[in-house]
Amino acid sequence: MTALPEGFFEAVARDFPADFLSVDPSDLATFGRDWTKVHEPRPAAVALPRTTDEVSRLLQLCTAFQVPIVPSGGRTGLAAGAVAAKGEVVVSLSRMRRMNAVDVLGATVRVQAGAVTEEVHRHVAEHGLTWPVDFASKGSSQVGGNIATNAGGVKVIRYGLTRQWVLGLEVVLASGEVLELGGALEKNNTGIDLRQLFIGSEGTLGIITEATLKLTRLPGKLDVLLFAVPNLAGVLALFKEARTGPFVITAYEFFTEKCMARVRRHRSVREPLSAPSDYYVLLEVERAEPEALEAWIGSLFERGVVTDGTLAQHAGEAAAIWALREGISESLSATGMPHKNDIALPIQDLEGFCAELESVFEARYPGWEIALFGHIGDGNLHVNVMKPDAMEKAAFLARTHEADHTMFELVRKYRGSISAEHGIGLLKKDYLGYSRSGTEIEIMRAIKQALDPLGIMNPGKVF
Amino acid sequence: MKILVALKRVADPDNANKVKIPASGEKIDTTGLEWKPNPFDEYALEAALRLTENGTQPKVRAGEVVVVTFGPKETETTLRAALATGADRAIRVDASDDKLDGDLVARALKALVEKEKPDVVLMGKQAVDGDSNQVGQILAELLDWPMATFAATIREEAGALLVGREVDGGVSTLRVKLPAVVTVDLRIVAPTSVYSTKTPSTHKYNDGVRFAALPAIMAAKKKPLVEVKLADLAPDQALKVSYHGFAAPPARKAGIKVKDVSELVSKLKNEAKVL
Repeated sequence: MTALPEGFFEAVARDFPADFLSVDPSDLATFGRDWTKVHEPRPAAVALPRTTDEVSRLLQLCTAFQVPIVPSGGRTGLAAGAVAAKGEVVVSLSRMRRMNAVDVLGATVRVQAGAVTEEVHRHVAEHGLTWPVDFASKGSSQVGGNIATNAGGVKVIRYGLTRQWVLGLEVVLASGEVLELGGALEKNNTGIDLRQLFIGSEGTLGIITEATLKLTRLPGKLDVLLFAVPNLAGVLALFKEARTGPFVITAYEFFTEKCMARVRRHRSVREPLSAPSDYYVLLEVERAEPEALEAWIGSLFERGVVTDGTLAQHAGEAAAIWALREGISESLSATGMPHKNDIALPIQDLEGFCAELESVFEARYPGWEIALFGHIGDGNLHVNVMKPDAMEKAAFLARTHEADHTMFELVRKYRGSISAEHGIGLLKKDYLGYSRSGTEIEIMRAIKQALDPLGIMNPGKVF
Repeated sequence: MKILVALKRVADPDNANKVKIPASGEKIDTTGLEWKPNPFDEYALEAALRLTENGTQPKVRAGEVVVVTFGPKETETTLRAALATGADRAIRVDASDDKLDGDLVARALKALVEKEKPDVVLMGKQAVDGDSNQVGQILAELLDWPMATFAATIREEAGALLVGREVDGGVSTLRVKLPAVVTVDLRIVAPTSVYSTKTPSTHKYNDGVRFAALPAIMAAKKKPLVEVKLADLAPDQALKVSYHGFAAPPARKAGIKVKDVSELVSKLKNEAKVL
């Protein structure tokens, strides 16, 4: 355990309940990292506040003692934004999961930051409403973490990022001061919108303790289709067709047979198609006129846009198809060590970018297993380079670090983003300059300096 | 081989709308429910498809698979899905869900079997809503046909089926001469559970029930689906089972966390009284 300043533990013991702070080694290991497994977790302690007031008093203490802190949600992040590897105090919001009554008229709900995404969905579904922030880790991820990372997910094509669905925030600054930003107002044009600064700030500016979430009506019935297409160009060609199809798209996901093979290795799979295909597309749409949908599908087959496919006949089949896509991240980590990249490109440039990406792969990773999937409808690609079994972890990380520069040069050339939805955290910090200018990064630092002059909020992350 | 598969639709547990019981407890409130085929009946359909094909060429049907269900017009969705999965034609026996019981369904099926003359009648071992586990057995008795229930494996032989049934302590294997009634258990959809005489014994199926391919879903619209009146099959529609009341199971109590193993053991001994 890393030493904290003398007197800190005594002060905590004096001012907080007995179970407020844990130094149990298993807690330190659990709360010290997210889904990335690159850094060894080494926090000094884990604080588990129950109220905003406790968070505020803890931060006053941390400011007084100059103790660095790492805010922590469901720890499902993929950029090491919630990693505490340098003796920080982790502030976990997991005990703060109260959800207030749903405001049906305003379609909003106020929740504490530790509320789990899926529990929020359940809480508001009774009123025919949803908070349309949805991704594979919804069973663990928390509202505060979602907001702090401006999380994306599988429904972005329909609903946008988390940012679109946050009306108000309660935030505790490093000084311990509590700010209420935005309230429950849809319209609030009163100067610079400070709430937006905290959305996606990855815990570097303050701790989000409560949020007023904007809700929308639950979608009607959905149709889930899975298609086989021959190659990445085929994925894009089908997307063009889907964009003009007779329905509203709620998800357009693609993945490769290499991803499927990993899912098969990790869990039992109900095969959706009679034969494997190099590329798959999962299309979810708000249920259309059956005749119009069928005419659309028929024309895809006639013109050879797709080679095979299926349409879920009931909710169980829809869930089975989604399980293939949502099982990928977990299966890659469970069966090997993936190096993850999460890049975004302007959609019209995807084809050109991908053609060039192939040559990067060939030069940098000859013969390696690369598992490609993503939310192609948002221009978002998840590139997972799998560690060859025989290679040492350190050699693998060095190799991927070097290759990332090559890939990110390409991303910059096409005016893409080096982190579409995972954030920057520790993992992508060295590459921020590929997507943001020097002046932009200076402005970020100035904002950080204004809000956290001692630099105790998630130090070392993002910039 | 000609196979008749009896399919029942049941409330879909994956759907957000759950079965509700009004305070009176008179009957189940089915409003807003989504439906799906009874899983064991889906397995029966998969077994029927495997028995009527060469597993290496699943698009060619060798023989005929006819699916039948009992219910109102909307149950045709279930039949269309079965046609999309590979069945050749479908029969809907027009009936109201709450005016059926296992005995009446079996009597009507008997009349249908006499008309259709299948070599095999396949169905799930039971439906997951009522869990009655009756129709297959009653039907075999009425027809005076050989019967194999809870089938985990089926191998086609000339004029017979070799049926493996999982029983306590092992597998009991029956050879039933055709025509016969077979009800299936969940392992029937494992990769090596069912072989027609045409499927090479080295062939392994994908685990589980096959999805319907898109072209087949569209072609299914044109496959024959006929409606039959229940009265034409079973003039006597008296029920032997009458339901006197429905009640939801008691709500589960919240769990607790124990500090250590000794507390766990003590609670299991003294509170749960299972040790």
